Amino acid sequence: MHHLSLYFHFVKLRIRSQMEYRLSFVFELFSQASISVIDFFMIALLFNRFKQLAGWSLWEVGFLYGMIGICFALAEMFGRGFDVFQRSILRGDFDTILIRPLGTFYQVFSHEFLLRRLGRIAQALVVLLIANSQLTISWSFTKVGYLLISLMSGTCFFIGLFVIGATSCFWTVQSIEIINIFTNGGVFMGSYPFSIYRWWFRHFFTFVVPLACVNYFPSLFLLGKIESLGASPIGVVLAPFAGFLFLGITMLFWRWGVLRYQSTGH
Amino acid sequence: MKSLYFAFHVYLAFAGKSFQKRMQYRVANLAGLTTNFFFLLVQIFVYTAFYAARPGPLPLNLDEIITYFVLCQVFFMVMPFWGTSSEVTEAIKSGDVVLQLTKPVDFQTYWFADECGRAYYYLFMRGLPTFLISLLFFEVVIPQHPTVLMAFAVSMILSIFMSAAITITIFSTGFWTLDTSGISGMSYAIITLFSGMLVPIVLWPEWLAYIARWLPFEGLIDVPFSIYLGKITGIKIWIAIGKQMAWSLFFLGLGRFLLTRGFSKLVIQGG
Repeated sequence: MHHLSLYFHFVKLRIRSQMEYRLSFVFELFSQASISVIDFFMIALLFNRFKQLAGWSLWEVGFLYGMIGICFALAEMFGRGFDVFQRSILRGDFDTILIRPLGTFYQVFSHEFLLRRLGRIAQALVVLLIANSQLTISWSFTKVGYLLISLMSGTCFFIGLFVIGATSCFWTVQSIEIINIFTNGGVFMGSYPFSIYRWWFRHFFTFVVPLACVNYFPSLFLLGKIESLGASPIGVVLAPFAGFLFLGITMLFWRWGVLRYQSTGH
Repeated sequence: MKSLYFAFHVYLAFAGKSFQKRMQYRVANLAGLTTNFFFLLVQIFVYTAFYAARPGPLPLNLDEIITYFVLCQVFFMVMPFWGTSSEVTEAIKSGDVVLQLTKPVDFQTYWFADECGRAYYYLFMRGLPTFLISLLFFEVVIPQHPTVLMAFAVSMILSIFMSAAITITIFSTGFWTLDTSGISGMSYAIITLFSGMLVPIVLWPEWLAYIARWLPFEGLIDVPFSIYLGKITGIKIWIAIGKQMAWSLFFLGLGRFLLTRGFSKLVIQGG
């Protein structure tokens, strides 16, 4: 409980400091959202020309797009501390974290909070809501709960990727840029139905990096497309939990990495 | 004449330094190469699936579309606008620009030299490997006629030149706003859309393509690649290249105007 109230306190401080530069904040909110609007606009242009993609309509793809966009923006908002963690290693700030009487993971997590991702979240949410209005999804209490769990799971998945990137700094000092393939690239490929990818690509992003589990499989269930897959529905329904599991594993990796830490010193 | 030669020498040296600086980050370049290739792969999967539905006659066939996006990834980092920002833009923000202003050189040309060094680096270290690897894995279309290749080269050099001129214009506003993230974000969205970077303009609906044809940004991506693919031929090549030249000069002038105004009111932050 103490941890939680402390976390809210930290977040409040972060928001206050970001609000100091109000104009810059508004600008970035706006420019972030406009970049992602262009992204979806381009998908819409393609559908205008081609009508459908592997049996998916524009708004079914919009549903995928909205989901993955929300998850990624939330992860950037909450997991920012890990995203910019290489700074702490380069400057030797991690030493300070080690001597405080709180867990390292908790401290890095609560250190940053990026409010300006609200623009991106709003844009993805609007796409998701329009998609929902264009599709006929029979929402039930279970389905709403399932959507919320999937969104949380997707957020955990992306935070997990940030944690891997941050942990690698214990060895390489600089964050490994390859992780961008999975974060930015993950958003890009997650915006399209997985059935269009080759089998090896699909399997890698299901079993090794469980991107499909937090986005594609839950969408199949919510959009009533499970039959088209020919896979066991139980596996699909349980898929979102892979996101939580993924974050758990990366937390263990973090713990192991901290043991290997050598200060860059001052 | 001698002083002209000397000036050229100086800017060449600046460009060379800019090139050398980047040679230090070899592992980062490898990671970037992998990322370029990943995005290319996903794009190819997406278009292959779209084309599989056979929606009727299209202005580009699948191999041409794939080639278009291979070229996009080849030149993505070469273009000053999409690649990483040069040191000069950072310097305006940090106030270090004052050091560059004390040098007895023309600031805009100096900035150009820096961007040129960057462009050359990415052309050889990022663009060329991306193209060669793509040749191995995908059906990349190669123009059969040497004149097509020559026209493409001219158009591509102009487009890199124009993208440097646009970048300088955009970031010159930093002298007024200090934080360029807002304006650069907005222009990023507009330029990325209207350059044809995400979807080739021939696939757009009529009304939107019409707007794009009146804007300068098609000259960055769509025009040179269409020349490469043989979709712009004959006299139209000259018109397209002429348009690229005119817009380049426009942005060159605008950038120079902004820089001159910016210097006259320049207040350096920090100390």
